[in-house]
Amino acid sequence: MNLKSELHAHVASLRRYALVLTRDPVAADDLVQETLVKAIDKADTFRPDTDLRPWLFRILHNTHISDLRRARTRADAAADLPEPLARECQQTQLELKQVLGALDRLPEAQRAPIILIALREMSYAEAARTLDVPLGTFMSRLGRGREALRKIVQGVGSGKLALLKRKEDGA
Amino acid sequence: MTTPEARDPALDVELMAYADGTLDPGRRVEVEARLARDAEARDAVAQWRHFDNLIRQTGRAADELPANLRIEALERQLAARLQRRRWQAALMGPRMRQVAASVAIFAAGWGAHALYGAGDALVGHSHPGFVQSTLAGHLSHVLASQQRAEFAGDDMTEALEWLSAQMQRKIDSPKLERLGYRVESARLIVVDDAPVAVFYYRNAEDERVTVSMTPQHATQPHYALRMAKVQDDRMAYWTADAMHYTVVAKTDAARITALAAAVQP
Repeated sequence: MNLKSELHAHVASLRRYALVLTRDPVAADDLVQETLVKAIDKADTFRPDTDLRPWLFRILHNTHISDLRRARTRADAAADLPEPLARECQQTQLELKQVLGALDRLPEAQRAPIILIALREMSYAEAARTLDVPLGTFMSRLGRGREALRKIVQGVGSGKLALLKRKEDGA
Repeated sequence: MTTPEARDPALDVELMAYADGTLDPGRRVEVEARLARDAEARDAVAQWRHFDNLIRQTGRAADELPANLRIEALERQLAARLQRRRWQAALMGPRMRQVAASVAIFAAGWGAHALYGAGDALVGHSHPGFVQSTLAGHLSHVLASQQRAEFAGDDMTEALEWLSAQMQRKIDSPKLERLGYRVESARLIVVDDAPVAVFYYRNAEDERVTVSMTPQHATQPHYALRMAKVQDDRMAYWTADAMHYTVVAKTDAARITALAAAVQP
């Protein structure tokens, strides 16, 4: 794969990651644009013998972390999911909201590993490099994060989702 | 029911790798057997996968978003900058820095090979032809000024005696004949005051191999066998018996390993 094709595939991946982080298509594209501008500025520091994908994801991740405005956008736009998801069934929509809501309650150190691995865009080692942490630390944060997510969702699920299921059963 | 062997799923790297589909196949059966006995681990895996699917769905929605012209423009700009960065690295990469650091053998072996061979190996396919030609000419000029002697392939006995005398230690032929190569010539060049013996080989398929040797100076490190890829060429280099060796050829990793093994005294 030549450089242009490789970069094009990475940018598509960046847009996916940005959309999960921001939950807003406009904010996601803003984040990707900001990432690319920074990458152009830093291009002279990129080592060609290293992987381009973790380098780009790291820039996006750091940009996201330092951008408080986008953090506010995410909170405000949590329900503003892209159109394709709006057609999903009611239960999936509710589950999706629960999971994304639970993700927001996790510390950033746990949220980012979960998203990077869930997107299937990179290996554990690449994701650890993206977040600039040792692999052991990354695995620990991923495991702790997943369990915390499970506990939060279970707590919520015993309420709203159970109610929904009862309605469906009764229908 | 949770068995006594149950572990905290959050700390179980194998369980996570299983959930993510990255577990080594040799371990999968064992983890699956454990899952059959451990309801807590089974629930954890199922829920992790479910959450991942939901998150991935959210991400995939980005593929449906309209094209963003500003992103496309920045992508093209970044591609150009990274391409330029690759060219810079090819010209000023580790090999060249090693020359600057007086580790002359690496550059001498690789540079000589590129010059003696097709020449395009030196600069890769990304550069315009005139840059490639200029660099090949420059290298030719540099090597010509550094060359002290050249011997034809049928003068190897005399060459080895002369090289041994010049380098003040016995120099043996790299012995690539056993792999079907024939020595075409040998040279002595001097880089940073260090003598470098360079041997050029070719086989019936017109595949070229360059081997160089230079004594290890007391201040220089000892290198374990290392492999490197330089554009289309592969290089192996190492230190043995106070001598630095470099083997360069346009070939694959297995072949360069075999060549290095043949050269190894």
